[in-house]
Amino acid sequence: MRTGRFAAAILAVSVSFTLPALPARPALAADVKVDIPFTKTTLPNGLTLILHEDHTLPMVAVNSLVKVGSHFEEPGRTGFAHLFEHLMFMGTARVPTKMFDGWMEAEGGSNNAWTSEDRTDYFDLGPAHALPLLLWLEADRFSSLGKEMTQAKLDAQRDVVRNERRQTSENRPYGKVELRLPELLYPAPHPYHHPVIGSHEDLQRATVDDVKAFFARWYVPNNASLVVAGDLDPVKVKAEVERLFGWIPRAEVPPAVAVAAPHLAGIVRETMVDNVKLPKIIMAWHSPAHFAPGDAELDLAGVILQEGKASRLYKALVYDHPIAQEVHAEQRSQELGSYFAIEAIAQPGVTLDKLEAAIDAEVQKLVAAPPSAEEVKRAQNQFETAFVARLQSVHERASLLNQYQQAVGDPGFADKDLARYRAATPTALHAIVKQTLLPGARVILRVTPKDAAPEPSAKAAKPGKGAK
Amino acid sequence: MRARTMLPRAGMVALSLAALAACEESLPPPVVAPPPPPPTASVAQAVDPVGAKPALPAPQPFEPPAPVVFKAGNGMTVWLLERHALPMVSVTLSIPYGSASDPRGKAGLAHITADMLDEGAGPRDAVQLSTSINDLGASLSTGAGLDGSSVSLVVLKKNFRPALDIFSDVVARPRFDAGEYKRVSALWRNELHKRAQDPGAVSRVVMGAALYGPDSPYGHPSSGLVSTAGKIDLPAVKAFYAAHYRPDQATLVVAGDVTRAELTPMLAEALGAWKTPARAAEPTPEARPQAAPPRLVLVDRPDAPQSVLAVVRNGVTAADPRAPLLDLVNTALGGSFTSRLNQDLREEHGWSYGAGSRFAETRGTGGFIAFAQVVTEATGPALQAMLGDLDKMATAGITLEELDKVKAQDRADLVQTYETVGSTSRRLGTLAMLGLPPGFDASASRARQRAGKGELDALAAAVSPKGAIIVVVGPAATVTPQLASAGLGKPELWDPEGNPKK
Repeated sequence: MRTGRFAAAILAVSVSFTLPALPARPALAADVKVDIPFTKTTLPNGLTLILHEDHTLPMVAVNSLVKVGSHFEEPGRTGFAHLFEHLMFMGTARVPTKMFDGWMEAEGGSNNAWTSEDRTDYFDLGPAHALPLLLWLEADRFSSLGKEMTQAKLDAQRDVVRNERRQTSENRPYGKVELRLPELLYPAPHPYHHPVIGSHEDLQRATVDDVKAFFARWYVPNNASLVVAGDLDPVKVKAEVERLFGWIPRAEVPPAVAVAAPHLAGIVRETMVDNVKLPKIIMAWHSPAHFAPGDAELDLAGVILQEGKASRLYKALVYDHPIAQEVHAEQRSQELGSYFAIEAIAQPGVTLDKLEAAIDAEVQKLVAAPPSAEEVKRAQNQFETAFVARLQSVHERASLLNQYQQAVGDPGFADKDLARYRAATPTALHAIVKQTLLPGARVILRVTPKDAAPEPSAKAAKPGKGAK
Repeated sequence: MRARTMLPRAGMVALSLAALAACEESLPPPVVAPPPPPPTASVAQAVDPVGAKPALPAPQPFEPPAPVVFKAGNGMTVWLLERHALPMVSVTLSIPYGSASDPRGKAGLAHITADMLDEGAGPRDAVQLSTSINDLGASLSTGAGLDGSSVSLVVLKKNFRPALDIFSDVVARPRFDAGEYKRVSALWRNELHKRAQDPGAVSRVVMGAALYGPDSPYGHPSSGLVSTAGKIDLPAVKAFYAAHYRPDQATLVVAGDVTRAELTPMLAEALGAWKTPARAAEPTPEARPQAAPPRLVLVDRPDAPQSVLAVVRNGVTAADPRAPLLDLVNTALGGSFTSRLNQDLREEHGWSYGAGSRFAETRGTGGFIAFAQVVTEATGPALQAMLGDLDKMATAGITLEELDKVKAQDRADLVQTYETVGSTSRRLGTLAMLGLPPGFDASASRARQRAGKGELDALAAAVSPKGAIIVVVGPAATVTPQLASAGLGKPELWDPEGNPKK
């Protein structure tokens, strides 16, 4: 899950896994190539700079990705990485509070940011003439934010973030699922145990000293990468970035902590109550990390299960029989290990027991035998279009270059990423499905209407940690 | 409703700006900003490697590309905008009949008609059609809004021809099978029941009902109402289709990697048999707000941690010459992060994750809406602040600094709206649906760039809260006393479907 600065962005996470060596893939005949031209340099202080020149429109995008997210948080400080992201807009001595946005918007620029379990990303979009201002504003905050933090700035954004939690989770139908699911799926002390947004209690505990320490520890040039894209002169921009960012001192970043692979010994069941009319079921299994073998195949499996009227789950649960109102299945890729989730909302009068059994029957078919070549090809074709569609906007191209840089060390990985999907076979897909979708090792979370009597098989409801 | 168009999480999903823009409730924006103080002396005097705020060159002028306009053989209007940077094509067919054309007592007929178009068409049944689209890696979607209905396709160029055939079947040869209707209609009714638990959706339903009244073409949500959805049968759907989906009223927008020479014969083959019926086309309905709307409406949502606030009043038609200039006023008031409403409710007070406002772009008289979701305990103070911000803009107008800013934002928006093939085709499809010319945005932007403070200040009364409707979706027990202390009086209690409670 990632939590944005002001977008109600409830998107699957998909950031970053550093592979020491990429498995060699056979070259594939493909008539569509997914290519984003770029140059990459590393400044002496460790900052990675990636430039992408494109003069189609008088626009520029700046994207700054920092290798920190909610899984790096200290005990008792859940939600801190995301709260910190909000504080990055609160100004410095050079840029008074409110003027980061004020000066940027005065030139027609705009910005946003998001935080996931693994990364924090900041991005600006603006008219080409405003690029020197965008770079100056970024250099200002990336060099100086921490030492000029104040209690007033912290208090202001803490209230905003608590309202973000209310708006995007607590006051939204089924919204508390995303707060509880990670706790069930990743037993403490796994760093994915808590949701990105954190708990109200921990958000209240955050101090100005915490902010300063977090900035000093993680917001250093050797822990970040910067993409500048669009209607620009790469020679000039490189010199400008060297001048603005090159002086910022590097600092030792704490080494990655070894995390034991999470393991579910059995079925972890829980039922929560929500202000909804139709009950819902969520199943989740541990699965391979982003870019690890099996990750792309599970993406394809999600499409085979849920996309289109002929897809396995939609056909069985929605089209042929009136069991589910909606059904979703997807691999949610993350750096330290992913999970595969199936979610379905029951039609009126259908019990969750019946819904669960219907999902299990379809999953077992996919576990028992490989999908057809047609199903795999159909899913691959949908990914191919999506890969091309992502190249349309300069903001997305900047974002992709940066995410591939941090995930695999190669900003130009898009075409190789697509090759992972093109190379998938029914046999490989079947192998990973069989290994992942184990009936006896998963989380099964149920949401029941608060006005309804509990179903016989449902256990007592347990409120999500931090949910108020 | 059903997830038909898919965006696979392909490797990495970037947060799309278009999605942000569409999500107006979270799209925020200032308080009157003080003049920016100069950098403090200590920073400026030491050798600061970051240096002072850079001076910028003038922005480059930009003129959005205009589509080529022509008539297809069957009388349908075509807007073609060639874009050859990527091998993609996006197509949108718009007709100017949406939920405003729903007959009395059949709220949602345009919606369910659009929903049925791809449930089997031409030689393919519903499952085959869905499968064929996915085999081509294409996405196809259908839908209806207040003023029109549309069918959209996005596909790689190599698969454009076969995908266009399926798209054309959906537009011109839907099957309207009775078995499919039974299923689709049941899913639709369930979805309408689900809406009552989504506070943002409830707020939108109630706003429309309160502003226009139950008998106005805009008085019901385009997705329909629980009370009447069950009464809509398949013959009504077929009749709506026959009366309204006709080439003489349709505009086909094509954007992407295709030339006119390639497109023309394809359209003749795929859509040539789609003919205009002999009877005259139905006029598009007139819609205007009701004369005596309610003042303060509350929908009870017990125990909710936030209240959804909306201040609603009449706006203008999309074709009104004042509309482009009112957009500038609105950008300063609630149309971007630094706008007054967002700065006040979010950045100053921390009551909300975001606040904003907008003028609805509609063929009939549209609404003006200011909105925010605020922590329940601050419902009264946040509403007072919101009303104060509106009143101040209405009476004192915008500042010169704001004027420069919103003009810069207008120039940037014009570039971004036409950046991608998908956003271009959606925007042109909306213009066609509203009866606006393909060059509308460029000329509206020119009018905005010429605007002076005096003229905007004279128009700013359009956001005055005097006589506006306040809609609150939140816990009545906590909210009611706050409304009273805020001097707003006693609310009328309404249900989530937009009816006053008896």
